Parts: sequence; structure tokens; C-alpha cells
Amino acid sequence: MKEILLKTESLSKSFSSGGALQHVLKNVDMEIYRGDFTVIMGASGAGKSTLLYALSGMDTPSLGKITFGDQVISDLNSDGLAVFRREHCGFVFQQIYLIDSMSVFDNVMAAGLLVNKDKSALVIRAGELFAAVDIPEKTQRKFPAQISGGEAQRAGIVRALINSPEILFADEPTGALNSKTGLEVLNTLTEFNKQGQSVVMVTHDMRSARRGNRILYLKDGFILGECDLGKYRPNDRERHGKLSEFLAKMGW
Amino acid sequence: MRGNKSVNYNKSILLARANIRRGKGQTAAIVMLVLLSSLMMNLWLMLSTDYRKNFDRCHDRLNDGHINLAAYVTGEDFKEFFTAALEKRPDITEFTISDGFCAPFSFKYNGGEITHLGVLLEKEDALSRKAGKFEITEDSDYKSGIYLPMLYGTRNNYAAGDRIKITLLGEEFEYTVCGFFNSAMIGSHNCGMMALLLTEDKFEEFSSESCALKSVYASVRVKDISKSESVSAELKDAISKEFPDVVVTGNNYEMIAVSRYVSQMICSGILSAMAFLVLLIGVVIIVSNIANYIRENMRNLGALKAVGYMSGQLVFALLAQFAGISLIAALIGTAVSYCIFPEINSMMIAQTGIPYAVKFQLVPILFTLIFISGVVSASVYFSAKKIKKIEPITAMRQGIATHSFKKNHVELEKTHLPVNAALAMKTTFGGLKQNITVCVTMLVISLILVFSATSFRNTIIDIKPMIEMIAGEHADSAININPNREEELIEKLREDGRVEKFYLFTNNNMEVQHVGGLSLAVSVTDDCSKLNNRSLIIEGRFPRYENEFAVAAKYAKDNGIRVGDEIALRIGNSEEKYIISGFLQCTNNLGKDCLMIREGYEKLSPVPNVTYYINLEEGTDIDGFNGELSDRLGSDVNSLQNIRLIIESVGGVYVLLMTFLVIAIVIISCIVIVFVMYLLIRTVLNGKKRDYGILKALGYTTRQLVTQTALSVMPSVTLSAAVGIFVSIQLINPLMTVFLSGVGIVKSILTVPVDICIAAGIILVAFTFAVACLMSLRVKKISPIELISGE
Repeated sequence: MKEILLKTESLSKSFSSGGALQHVLKNVDMEIYRGDFTVIMGASGAGKSTLLYALSGMDTPSLGKITFGDQVISDLNSDGLAVFRREHCGFVFQQIYLIDSMSVFDNVMAAGLLVNKDKSALVIRAGELFAAVDIPEKTQRKFPAQISGGEAQRAGIVRALINSPEILFADEPTGALNSKTGLEVLNTLTEFNKQGQSVVMVTHDMRSARRGNRILYLKDGFILGECDLGKYRPNDRERHGKLSEFLAKMGW
Repeated sequence: MRGNKSVNYNKSILLARANIRRGKGQTAAIVMLVLLSSLMMNLWLMLSTDYRKNFDRCHDRLNDGHINLAAYVTGEDFKEFFTAALEKRPDITEFTISDGFCAPFSFKYNGGEITHLGVLLEKEDALSRKAGKFEITEDSDYKSGIYLPMLYGTRNNYAAGDRIKITLLGEEFEYTVCGFFNSAMIGSHNCGMMALLLTEDKFEEFSSESCALKSVYASVRVKDISKSESVSAELKDAISKEFPDVVVTGNNYEMIAVSRYVSQMICSGILSAMAFLVLLIGVVIIVSNIANYIRENMRNLGALKAVGYMSGQLVFALLAQFAGISLIAALIGTAVSYCIFPEINSMMIAQTGIPYAVKFQLVPILFTLIFISGVVSASVYFSAKKIKKIEPITAMRQGIATHSFKKNHVELEKTHLPVNAALAMKTTFGGLKQNITVCVTMLVISLILVFSATSFRNTIIDIKPMIEMIAGEHADSAININPNREEELIEKLREDGRVEKFYLFTNNNMEVQHVGGLSLAVSVTDDCSKLNNRSLIIEGRFPRYENEFAVAAKYAKDNGIRVGDEIALRIGNSEEKYIISGFLQCTNNLGKDCLMIREGYEKLSPVPNVTYYINLEEGTDIDGFNGELSDRLGSDVNSLQNIRLIIESVGGVYVLLMTFLVIAIVIISCIVIVFVMYLLIRTVLNGKKRDYGILKALGYTTRQLVTQTALSVMPSVTLSAAVGIFVSIQLINPLMTVFLSGVGIVKSILTVPVDICIAAGIILVAFTFAVACLMSLRVKKISPIELISGE
């Protein structure tokens, strides 16, 4: 029996646009399980990023309930959500979002020091993570503008994992990268997932989605379908076939 | 071609309007700073130009004398001699001599008492004088009584119909106040001598009853005003040679033109300094804003250039934006200054004693508008020149590097600071322009605060240092008696247990002529070591021997006299040489004073009257003590003064003025801090919007980011406030010397309240932090989701 990390009940999100109300998420009921690599797919405008940011406490739902363990995060105010994010979540963004005025290492420390007061333990943890994503010390001391996009995104993953979050959210993590560096990033995420890190990733790239063991397909604000790829090995052809079949069924 | 250019510049104006619309808060802040600066600049100019000329207008209207002399006399032979002496001088154009009485008097004023040398004249005679006329400024139905100088009718002191008790040579006279008058040269207690006008019946009554010295009062007009001082000295010299027993006192145009405008000088000095300092802050902020504007809008500027805008048009748009709002703000500022000026005028009149009608003045307005617009335009032009270097394609592709990669300040793994403080420090080190703006603002505000604290300490808390610097010697009580009762007085004072110390300090209308120079008011003492004001001497030492004397530092400076020099002094026909033992500072006679010991003075002439200064035990009833002395010595007492009360009453006008100024300065400083912080924090937040979005996404709360933002300005705030307070403490007395140099101050010796300055510095830092926190609350509006969805 898988442990539920996150759960939504009748989750809805609406935006006002040009005076008209646009319903992006409509009564979404779903769970995210510990240790899963959950991929949220869907066409552009399906609401997948909106769902990701609502799940991660980056945004608040218009209606419905989001529960993390016993904690109802949909009731939290902005500071409460900030505390929730820092203590339980890690983020990897499509645009990477490292802070330009800080060195790569300081970008990681800025996130780490929010939660972990033991600086020496934090430095060791950062060193391990940098080693795991293959970023040498010299690169760590550089500024974001001085390193490649792939290095920056891997540094972004280190930043996301520095506080050992219970859940890592990734929004199109390869969207701004070329195929080679994108692959490196996906390998990194897969590797951390293998070590037990729960990952929720939004993507519209099938090659990226194949890394997940659970695929949720979102269409017009609803979870249209779900595909379990857990029983297939990562490079298994059947895994690819099963995903293709699922996506075809969803109208991809 | 011309039409084309016009169209192009219309586009620049459209751009300027768009910028103003986009930065409403920034515009409002700059408007406020320029408005404050222009308000103070216009007030300063109004006070320094037309207001100052008001004395000349009043002097001309009343055809007042350039030299005014009162001789304690006398008989017809003196009057004949004096008239002849005046008539034969070709440098004198006109004069009027009136009979009157001259004596020290005192009456209640401003919650205390005023004691001064008075010239009592008959009202109708005074009004009909050809030279040195008087004018009634307020009359009433009361036909028998006294008319007072108009400044005693201000600030609820006296009104027509009030009864006034005047003590004159130990006798008390009570009159009904019939009204008030104006006189340029003897219409205030700042004139060396002051007129009081009695109605005909009261004048005759006084003539028959009083022991006051029958005198003549002469108003003399000269051809060359700049020679009024020397003509006055020559006249006094001529009188003392012919009538050695006649005491002559007087004033001259140059002395009164300054002494009646001391408060105006102080006020306009402060206003001009404040106006320029606030404008400096405004300019620093505008320059910093333009630099930020160029940085933030690099892509847009590149795009505008790409579609055909010329650099000149883009610079012109900024010029139109900032010069335009500055001009409007300056216009509003000058308009507001006209709303404030009447209140300042009413405070000034309480000191100057000369009526002034506020009127529209074009020149100060034009100067203010042109100067402020010019300074703003020049600073905008020079800081916007960077636009010319923008290459459109490069700007559009890359924007501009917003961070220097030379150094990673405050490495988070090494620093011992808490994370929020460390991140704040990173912002601090990354914002050079922000730090410069903060430093300039804090240095200016620190100087202003130290000035306010010093004024507060030396006027409102304890006016003694100011009195010691400006008025000279002081004690609790002073008695002037006829010399034949001096021994008796000394005996009485020695026996009285309430008397802590007493010493001769006599200066009633005594003058010595510096041979080859001007006449100097002289103070004579029997023991300089007993003087209360030890700061009277600012260089050298007090005179100890009969061949020594101390001269006013200003006079010495103006005449190239040094300590140790030997100069000749003369009274009447006696002339002696004296060595200068030191320089003294006193503004009573605009820096034309000297101090001698009794033996030194008596080499020239016997001391004509004796005044003893008396220090009493704490808690002694000074008026009661004076009353007892008066009873004991009777009619030989010429005057008795409660000096403490006089200091309170005369000082009250300055206390009121300084209280107003200090409050105004503190309010203006607070406004400046609020607007500077608003502009700075706004700039920081605009520059760090993306970073703060990221930090919020990572889990930083609004409170943490507010603290970071506010803390980021605090190192420069704290450092510059500390440096500013320290430097200002060192500079304040030299600056005050400059401010007060016009009244004869060559070395300001005000007590600088280091404790109050430090406390003010701490409050300044705390206030700035609070304002910075408040302004940083805009962080709340930055949402991580907007950052993500926005890109």
C-alpha cells in the first residue's frame, strides 16, 4: 500500500481574464504517493502547470482542498505556504531561476540556510549533491551567467534537493535545454527518484514523461486518465509502448 | 525639416508623459523634495532681499539718522556747541536735535523683564522731527500715557489700554499704553538705546518729578553712509574734548541695520542651507533614478532606437520628464512659501520690531525656478548621456549586465551572519548608487540633526552658552549706582550671606577711541578672574595689568591687530598706549568692544558710573534682593537688573524662533527620509523583483524579504549617520561661526550636546529602518507565481 503524500479534493482554480472567469482546474481529485515519479501531461493550456503550483503551495486554489499528510495546505496564508514550501518541497523550473547576483554555491546555500541552521552539515550535503550532478567545485563558485544551461539546471536540482524535500516539483525542467543537456537533467532526476525522492514533473515531452512511473493526463482542467508505468523497467520498450498507447487514448 | 523635428520632440514629450504615468510614486517623491527645496529657497531669498531692504525703506520713510546720539547733559551751552559742531561739518546733510531724558529703565516683557537704556521723548515732538521721525503704528482713544515700540505689541505682550510699570533710576512710573510706534534707529531693545514716547501731559509730569538725566537726542544724516561710524566717533571725540563730563551714547546705521535683523540672518542662513541640502538629495535621487531607468529599460530603449528614435530624443524625454516635474514642484513650492511667510514674518517682527507687509516678489521666484530647473536639467542631461552609447541590437539582445562578476560578496558558507542579514549584505554590496544616495542623504540629515540638537541645547534647554557667546558677561543681578556710594555698596555685599561673589563690571555707555581706528565700547572690571563668562576671551588671556586690554576679535581681525600688539586709546584729551592681552567675543556692539581692568581705564578717565555684577546663592529671590539694595541705597541707585529675568525675556524670542525652526527642521528631515527611502526601496524592489520571486518560491516569507530589503540599506545608513554625526559635531561650531559672522562672532563656542546628537543619530537610524520596513512592504505584492507565469 503506497503512502499518500498529497491529496486534492474537488480542487478548482479560476482566473479572471478580460472580465470573464476562466476555469483552469475543475474539481480535481487526485493523490500523489511517496516515492513515485509522477508525471503530469497534457496539451498547452490544459492546466498542468496550474495544478503543479497549486499542489506545491506556490499558488492557492479557488475552491477545494489540498492535504499534505495531515496538514490542509489550501487553508494556509502566504507566509504559511512559504514555510510549507521551504520545509517540504523542492522546485526545478523550466527557466531555472538561479539568482544572478549570487554564485551557484550561494544559490544553493540561500535555500539550504532557510531550513538547516547547521552550516557545516549543509556545506557537506551541498558538496555531495553537486558531486552527484557532476558540477565541479570551480563551477560552483561561478555566477549563473558564467555557466551552461545544463549546469545551471543541475545546480537548480541541487538547490531543490538541498533541504531533502519530501517532494520535488519540476515544471518542464528540460524545456529550456538542448536535447543532450536535457537528457542529463532527466537522468539526474531519475537517479534521485531511484534513491527514494518523490518527484512530480510537468511535461509535454513524451521522452521526459517516460521517466515517470505514474502518468496523469490533464485535459480542460480535468484528470482525464492515469497510466501506471511502475511495472516496466525504465528503458523497456513496453514502457514506451504503454505510454504511447495511453497518450493516444487520451487524444494526445 | 523644422516640422519633422517638432513632431519628433512631441514624441519625446509623449515618452516623458508615459514615464511619469508609469512611475507615479517616484514622481510624487521627487515633486515633494523639489517642492521643499524651492519653498525654503524662496523663503530664504524673500528674507535676504526685500525683507532686508525693509529696514532701508523704513529708515528712508522716517528720514532717520545715520548717526543717533544721546548726550546726558546739560545746559544750553552744550546744545549750542553741538548744533554748531554738526552744522560746520560738510559730510552731514541734515540733523534734528530734541530735548528728552535718558536713563536706564526696565519693565515686564515676554514673561520676564527688559532693562535698557531709554530715551524718553514727547510724542508730538517725536512725530514732527525732520530727521529721525517716528510713526505711530497703532493708536487708541487713550490720550494720556505712553507709546511703546511696536515689538512690545507683538506676541501678547502689551495692548493699548494696558497699564505698564516702568522702573527708571529706582523710581517706578505707571502709564497707560496709548499705542505703539515705529522708529528705525531706536525702536527696539536691539538698538543700543530705545525710545519711549510720552504724551505731552505725562512728559511734563515726568520732567517735574523725575531725577532722570535731562538729555538731548540727535538724529544725524550723513552724505556717505559707509562713513557713519567714523563720523559718529569723530563727533563723540569732539564732544568729549569740549565737555569731558558729558556722557554720550549712540548708534549708527551699520550697527542697527545688522542688529535689528539677527533673527532674519539666522533664519535665512538656515533656510538657504536646508534648501541647497534638500536639493542636493533630490538631485542625487534623480541621477540614481535615471541610472536605474536606463538599466531597467535597456531593451526598450534599444527597441526605440531601432525604430528610429534618436539619442537626443530619448535624453530630451528624460529632460522633459524631470525638468517638467521639477518646474511644477518648484512653482508649487514658491506658492506654498507665500502661505508660510506671514507666520515667519510675525515671528521676525517680534525681534526686528519693524513692520513688514508680505508682498509678491518676482525676482526670488524667478531665481528659484531657474536655479532649480537648471540644476535638475544639468544633472538629468549628464546622467542620461549614457543613452547615447546604447547600441540598439546589443541592448535588445542582452539588455545590460545587472551584476558585476568580479566578486561574490558575503559568501553564505563562510559568513557568520544569519541568512537574512547575509542576503541583505549581498544587496548592499551590489548597490553602489543606492549606497551613495543613502550616504548623501544621511550625511545631510546628520548635519541638520546636529545643528538642531545644538540649537535645542543652547536655546531651549539652557540658553546660557548662546548668551555667553552673543551677549557677553552675565550674573544674577546688576546694580548701577553713583560712584560716591560704591564703598557702602561693597560693604553691604560683603556682609550679605546670600552673595556668592560680586565684581565691578561697568560698561554703561562708555567708549574709548582707538587712535587711528574707531571708537570701542568698553567694559571695565576690577577682577577678570571673577567674570562668569570664561569664554569671553577666545584667544590670548584676560587683561591683568593696567597697560593691557582685550579687544573684540572681529575688530582685531578687521584691522589686522594681533595679541601682543600695542595700540593707543584715547578718552577726551587723554591718550595712553596699551598692549593687547587677548581677543574677546561679544556682539553687543557688532564686534567693536574692548575689556579693561579698572586701573587701566582710569589711566584715561575716572570710571563715570559703577555697575556691580552679583552672583547670588541658588534659590535666592533676586527681585527681593534687588529691592533690599534699592531700599538701602535709595536714589543713588541708577538701575537694578534681574539679569536672569532679562535673559529669559529677551532670550524668549530666540527660544520661540529656534523652537519653530527645530520643529520645522525635524519635520522636513522626516519627510526627506520617507521620500528618499520610498525611492530607494522602490528601486531595489524593481531591480530585485525576479530574485524575490525566486526566494519566495524557495520558501522565504514576506517578513523575511521585508527585513532583508530594509537591512540592505542599513549598513550605509548606520555608517553614514555615524560619520555624519561625528563630522557634524566637529563642524557645527565652525559652521555657526559662518552663520553668525555678520553679528561679530568669529568663533562659535556653543555647547555641542554629544549625548543628544548620539541619541538623535540612533533615532535617525531607527526611524530610517522603520520607514525602510514600511516601504519594503511592497514585497508582499511580489508573488512567485507571477514570476513563473510572467516569463
